Amino acid sequence: MVFNTSLTGYQEVFTDPSYAGQIVCLTYPHIGNVGANAEDQESPRPFIEALVVREFSQVCSSWRSAETAQLYLNRHKIPVIWDIDTRALVRHIRNVGALRGIVSTDGTPADQLIFEAKKLASMTGQELASRVTCGKPYGWDKGSVEVAISPCFEQMGESDAPAEMRKHRVVAYDYGIKQNILRLLVDHRCEVYVVPAQTSAEDVLQMKPDGVFLSNGPGDPEPATYAVENIQKLFGRVPVFGICLGHQLCGLALGGKTFKLKFGHHGSNHPVKNLLTDQVEITAQNHGFCVDPESMPSSTVEITHVNLNDNTNEGMRHKSLPFFSVQYHPEASPGPHDSHYLFTQFTDLMKEFAQPGSLRR
Amino acid sequence: MPKRNDIKKILIIGSGPIIIGQACEFDYSGAQACKALSTEGYEVVLVNSNPATIMTDPELAHRTYIEPLTKEYLEGIIAREKPDALLPTVGGQTALNLAVELSESGILEKYKVEMIGASLRAIKVAEDRLWFKDACRKIGLEVPASALVNNAKDALRLCDQLGFPLVIRPSFTLGGTGGSIAYNKEEFGEAIAHALDMSPVHEALVEESVLGWKEFELEVMRDFRDNFVVICAIENFDPMGVHTGDSITVAPAQTLTDKEFQRMRDASAAIIREVGVETGGSNVQFAVNPENGRMVVIEMNPRVSRSSALASKATGFPIAKIAARLAVGMSLDEIPNDITKKTPACFEPTMDYVVVKIPKWQFEKFPGADSSLGTQMKSVGEVMALGRTFKEALQKGIRSLEPSTPWRAPSETPDSLLREKLATPRPDRIHWLLTAMERGLSAQEICELTKIDPWFIQQIEELTAMNRRAAAVTVETASKELLREVKRHGTSDEQLAQIWRTTPASVRLQRARYGVTPVFKRVDTCAAEFESFTPYLYSTYEDEDESEAQARPKVMILGSGPNRIGQGIEFDYCCCHAAYALREDGFETIMVNCNPETVSTDYDTSDRLYFEPLTLEDVLAIVEREKPQGVIVQFGGQTPLNLALELKRNGVPIVGTAPESIDLAEDRRRFGRLLDELKIPQPRNGTALVPEEAARVAGEIGLPVLVRPSYVLGGRAMVIAYDVNTVQEYVAQAALMGPARPVLIDQFLEEATEIDVDALADGTDVVIGGIMEHIEEAGVHSGDSSCVLPPVSLSPAILDAIREYTKRLALALKVVGLMNVQYAIQRDTVYVLEVNPRASRTVPFVSKATGVPLAKVAARLMTGKKLATTNLPVMRRNGVAEITVREFYSVKSPVFPFNKFRGVDTILGPEMRSTGEVMGISTSYGQAFAKAQLAAGQRLPRKGTVFLSVNDRDKKQLGALGKELSTLGFRLLATRGTAAALASAGIEAEAVFKVNEGRPNIVDLVKTGKIDLVINTPLGRESFYDEKSIRRAAIRYNIPCITTLAAAHAAARGIRALLEQGTEVAALQDLHRGQAAASGVPASGD
Repeated sequence: MVFNTSLTGYQEVFTDPSYAGQIVCLTYPHIGNVGANAEDQESPRPFIEALVVREFSQVCSSWRSAETAQLYLNRHKIPVIWDIDTRALVRHIRNVGALRGIVSTDGTPADQLIFEAKKLASMTGQELASRVTCGKPYGWDKGSVEVAISPCFEQMGESDAPAEMRKHRVVAYDYGIKQNILRLLVDHRCEVYVVPAQTSAEDVLQMKPDGVFLSNGPGDPEPATYAVENIQKLFGRVPVFGICLGHQLCGLALGGKTFKLKFGHHGSNHPVKNLLTDQVEITAQNHGFCVDPESMPSSTVEITHVNLNDNTNEGMRHKSLPFFSVQYHPEASPGPHDSHYLFTQFTDLMKEFAQPGSLRR
Repeated sequence: MPKRNDIKKILIIGSGPIIIGQACEFDYSGAQACKALSTEGYEVVLVNSNPATIMTDPELAHRTYIEPLTKEYLEGIIAREKPDALLPTVGGQTALNLAVELSESGILEKYKVEMIGASLRAIKVAEDRLWFKDACRKIGLEVPASALVNNAKDALRLCDQLGFPLVIRPSFTLGGTGGSIAYNKEEFGEAIAHALDMSPVHEALVEESVLGWKEFELEVMRDFRDNFVVICAIENFDPMGVHTGDSITVAPAQTLTDKEFQRMRDASAAIIREVGVETGGSNVQFAVNPENGRMVVIEMNPRVSRSSALASKATGFPIAKIAARLAVGMSLDEIPNDITKKTPACFEPTMDYVVVKIPKWQFEKFPGADSSLGTQMKSVGEVMALGRTFKEALQKGIRSLEPSTPWRAPSETPDSLLREKLATPRPDRIHWLLTAMERGLSAQEICELTKIDPWFIQQIEELTAMNRRAAAVTVETASKELLREVKRHGTSDEQLAQIWRTTPASVRLQRARYGVTPVFKRVDTCAAEFESFTPYLYSTYEDEDESEAQARPKVMILGSGPNRIGQGIEFDYCCCHAAYALREDGFETIMVNCNPETVSTDYDTSDRLYFEPLTLEDVLAIVEREKPQGVIVQFGGQTPLNLALELKRNGVPIVGTAPESIDLAEDRRRFGRLLDELKIPQPRNGTALVPEEAARVAGEIGLPVLVRPSYVLGGRAMVIAYDVNTVQEYVAQAALMGPARPVLIDQFLEEATEIDVDALADGTDVVIGGIMEHIEEAGVHSGDSSCVLPPVSLSPAILDAIREYTKRLALALKVVGLMNVQYAIQRDTVYVLEVNPRASRTVPFVSKATGVPLAKVAARLMTGKKLATTNLPVMRRNGVAEITVREFYSVKSPVFPFNKFRGVDTILGPEMRSTGEVMGISTSYGQAFAKAQLAAGQRLPRKGTVFLSVNDRDKKQLGALGKELSTLGFRLLATRGTAAALASAGIEAEAVFKVNEGRPNIVDLVKTGKIDLVINTPLGRESFYDEKSIRRAAIRYNIPCITTLAAAHAAARGIRALLEQGTEVAALQDLHRGQAAASGVPASGD
C-alpha cells in the first residue's frame, strides 16, 4: 500500500507496471476528472492492484477522453475504494511505512482481512520484474503524441544535428517499462527493440545495439540476480542507460547495495540536484528501493544526482565505462519534462562510443 | 549561489492605495519582501503612500517613507537614501510602472541604483502586448491573433479582418481598466474610444476572441541558476471572457491531463526565459479550446500578483518572500521550506484539498453601473475557501462572502430570464446555476449557456442532488449517515435549517447529538508526505483531526473577511497588530479569516491560522477545538461584530468591550437615551418603519434629514433628503429590501465640520489617540472625506469639549480597547453623530501620524493591561489624556474607483464609495494636503486655468477662494452665476457655457485640455446632468476635480505650499524620533 502525490496523470500511474503488486492511494482528492484515453497509457493495461481515492469522478471532461475513469478501471477489474479520509491513510503510511493491505468487497470481517494481510509477503525480497515483463521481443516505432510536444522538447529534438540521420539501435530491457520511455527514445532518433527481462546479455549483444536501456519496474532489485549478471556482462561492451529499477540493478551490478525506503518516493514534485551542473530538476519518482551511495565503489563510480528532500541517491555514472543511470523517471509521464535531456545524453553517449577508440579507454 | 554582498541597501516600492485590481495582496507581498530582506541582513527602504498597510509600519523597514508614488518624490527619496538596488516586483503594476519611469528618465543611472528582480527589458517585453506576442511566437507558442491600434480608423479596419466578437485591451492599465468585448461595429466604436482614452500611451490591442475557452494560470518561479518551479496551477471556473480577478477560480487545475498540464509548464518555462525574468515569481495565463485542446498564451506578469498571493495561501508556499530572496542572488535550493523545515523551497507544492476563490462585488454602491462581468475587473475583494472536495470548498466560499445567509432566486423568475442569467456572467451567476439545476435544466444546456466546464457543472449537480435528498427528511428524522454526508458536501447549518424549516441552532444540536463535527486538516505544501510544523488549518468532515491544539494561554482574533468598501485593509492591519502584540506578550495567537489577499492570513502572522469562513458555525467549531481564553471581535470591522452577541450566548469568552455595549451603541434609541443622560448633544432624530411615520418624524426633526438603515457599514444606502417625498420613498423601499428593521432619520447638520476621534480605554482611564478634522463638510461619508491630524480650524474650547465627551462616552460604554466617535460641529456646538466602540478605519492612519500603534495597545488592554501602567507619550488637555501631537500635519485622502464604472456619478455623499486611502505628511498643512491629493492621483496644478461652478450657498463665500487662486496666478473660468458671484467680490472670471447653453461648453474645454482644475460644488437636482458630465469628463481626462468648497480652500493652500516649498520627503523613523517606541505598554510583566 503506497501513496502518490501527483496532481495530474492518474491514468499514467494506473498503467505504470512499476506499481504491480501495490495498492495505490492518490493524495489528490478528485481523481477521474479527465477520464481515460488510449494515448495516456503507459502499458497495455493498469497494473495497480487497487485504487484508493477521496472522490472518484462519475463524469469525465476532456476533449482527449474516450471513457470515464470509472468505466476504464471497471473494464480492467481494478477495485476502487473512495470516500474515505485518504489524508489520514497517507499520514499513517508516512509514520509507519508502506504497509501490506487487502481490498475486499465480499463482507469478510476486518479482523480476518488483517490476519490475511499480515500473512502476505513484504515487498522486500520480491522479484516482480519477470512477472510484468513482455512475453517476447518487439520493435517500437511510435514517438510522442502531438499534445505532449513542448517547445523545449522540440528544441531538444532538433539539437541532434541533421547530419546525424543515422538512427541509434537501442535494445530496451523490459522490467516493467513505461511506454513514454520508448516514445522518447523514438523522438531521439532511436530504433527501439524491447526484450523480456530474462533475455541474456549475449542475445542482446547479438542484436548489435548502439546502446542498451534498462527500464523501470516493480519489486526489490536484489533477488533479480539474473538481471544483475546480464548487466555486468554488458558494461563496457555497449553504452548503458538505466532508470529506476534499472538504476538499482546497475548499482548492484557495480558492487553496491540497495535498501528499502520507509514509504518510498511516489510523485511528480521531487527536487533532484544534478551535481555536475548544480541545477535542480523537478522529477517524477516512483520507487520503494534505493541505491546506497556509500556502498558504491568511489574509485569507479561517480554520484551525479541527489534528492534534495532526503539526500538519497538519484543518479550515478561510471568513471570510465559508457554508463549512467538515474533513480527517477526522466521520461516523466506523469510529471515535469525537466529531465528529458538525459535522453539526449544517452544518444550523445552512443554517438561518442560509436567513434573508434573514443570511450573504449 | 549565496546572497549578494555587493548591495547593502534596497528600495522597495509599494503599490499605493487600495484600488480595484490592486488591493492588499501587495501589502502581503511587500511586507513579506521587507521581512525577508531584513532577515537576510539588508537595509530596507520602503516607500508607499498607503498608511493602512502593515508594510508601512516603521518596524518593517529601516527607513519608511509614506510619500506619493511619483517620479519626483521617488527621486527625492533616492537622493536622500542612496540605495544600491530597487526591487520593483512586489508592489503591483504601480511599482513596476514607476520603476520603468525611474529607469527611463535616467534617475536610476544617476544615483547608481540597480534594478533587481526584473530588468527593464523583461518588464517591457512582458507588459507590451505586441512585444510579448512576438516573444511567444519566437519560441513556438500560439497567441490570439491581434493588432495594436492608436486610432479609431485603423481599429475599424481591423474588425473586418478579425471578425466579431473582439476583445479590446488598452495598453498599460491596471486590472484590465478600460478593456471590453465588442460584438458589433457600434459597440466596437465606443469601446475603442474608451480604451484609447484609458491608456496612458493612447494605445489599445484589438484581439481575436477566445471567449468561452477554458482559462488557466500558472504561478511560477525562477532563480539565477535557471531553476524553475511551478507553484500552483489555477483553473478558472468562469471561462475566458471574464477577467480572472472577477472569476471564481480553483486550485489546483481540475480538468487537465498530465500531457496538457506539462505542455503548459513547458510553455511557462520557455516564456519566463524568453521574456528574461531572471529571478522571482511570474504568472502566465493560458486559454485552451475545450473542443480540441488548442492552447494560446494570454499574458504574463513578471512580478508577484493577486494570483500569486492566492497561490501562496492556497499552497502554503510564500512566493513573495522567496522571490525577494531570489532577487538578491539566492537560489531556490538554498532556501528552506518553512512548513516542512527539512525540505528545500526548490520543489513544486502538491495539494490534497481543493481551493476555491470567489470575488466580492459591490455594485449596490454604484447605481447605474453595468454589473455584467467582462475583461475589466470590477470586484473589490475576494474570499478563499479550502475543502477536501470542490463541492465543500465552493460552499464554504459562498458562505464566506457576506451576507452568508443562503441566496434564493425569486420564485417567479421565468425560464427565459433564468437562461439570460446563466448566459451573461454577473456576480450572482453561481446562485443562478444552483437555481437552474434545481429547476431541472439539464447539465448539458447549462454548459452550453455558461461555457463552464462540464466537470464543474457535474459538481453543482451533485450538490443539488444532495440537497434534494436532504429535503426528503427533517432535522429530527435525518440519519447520522445522511447528516455526515451532507456536511461532507460543505453545506452549512444555515442552509440545512432553510431546507428543514428550522433554526441553525437545532441543526447544530442534532449534529452534536450524532457527533457529526468537523476536523481540522493542515495545509502543508506536500500532501502529508512530510511532517508539517506550521499549524495552517482548514475544517472538513473527515476522520482524523490534525489541529494539535495546545494547552497554552491563547487568544483568538477574528478577521474581517473579504475586502469591501468601508471594511478593508485597515481592519486587517488592526487584526495583525493584535496578533503581534499578544504574541510578544506570550499568548498563543490564533487568527481566523477567509481573505487570501491579506497579511493576517500569512501563516507567519499568528501562531495558528484557521483559513475559515467567518460565520457562527465555523467560528464555534474552532472555538470548541481550541478553547481560547479570549476572542477578539472588535478589530475585524462589522463582520466579527455581527457575530459577537451570538458567540457570547454560546459561551465564547469575548474580550474587550462587551458585545452588549457594542450593541447599545448601534441601537439608536437606547444610545440616544444614553447621550441625554451624559448631556451630550446629538442631532434630532427618530425612526420609522412605514412611509407615513417617516413623513411625520421628518417633519418634527426639520429638513434636511439624513436617512439610513439601522446597522450600517460604510454608510451603505444612506441619503440626505431635502424633501419629505424622498424620505417616504426611502422608507418604502427599505421595507421592501428586508426584514422589518427601522429606518433611522436624523437631523442633517448643514455646513457643519465633521470630526473623527479614536480613543483607547480600559474601563477606568481614557486616552485620546487622535483628533481628525474632516476637510469636506458633514454629509460626505467619513470614509470618503479627506481629514487632517491635528485639526487646523477648531478653537481650544471646541477641542476641549470633544475630549471631554469622548472620555464620558468611553467610560459610559465601559470601553476596553478602541473606540471611534464621529462629531459634527455646527455654530460652536459639538454634536455626536456616531460612536463605534471598536477599531475604526482611521486607526492605522492615526498610528502612523502619532507614532503610537493604537491597535497593539488596545489588544493589550483587552487582555488585562491597564493604561495607568503604560508609558504612552501623552499630554493632558482639559483633564483628558491625549497622545502627544507631533509637530507636523498628516492628511488622509480617499481614492475612488469611478474610472472602473462608466456612467456613475462621482459626487460624494453619505454613501461610502472609496476603496482606499493615502497619506500626505508635511510640516505645513497645505503641503500635506497637496501630497495626499497627489498620492491619490489628483495632481494639483501649479499654474493654468481653474474652472469654478458652485452652488448658491457657496457663492456667498467664494470671494476668499477666488482671490487666493488669482493671487496664485490662475486664470479663472466660471459658469455665469458663479462668475457673477466672483465679480461682485471684485474678482475677474470669464464666463463659459454650461453643457446645455451652447458650444464650446465647459465639457468641451475639459476634453480639449484647456482646464487644469475643476471646482464644482453640487447645485441640486435640476442641473444634475450638467454637473455629472463635467465631473465625468474630469475623471476621464485625469483633471483634478474638487466637489466641496472646504476642499477647494485646502487645495489652494496646497498649491501655495507646492510653489513655495517644492518636493520634500521624510522617513517615519525620523518623524517619530522621540515618540515612545512601539506599543507603549511593557511587553510582558509589570
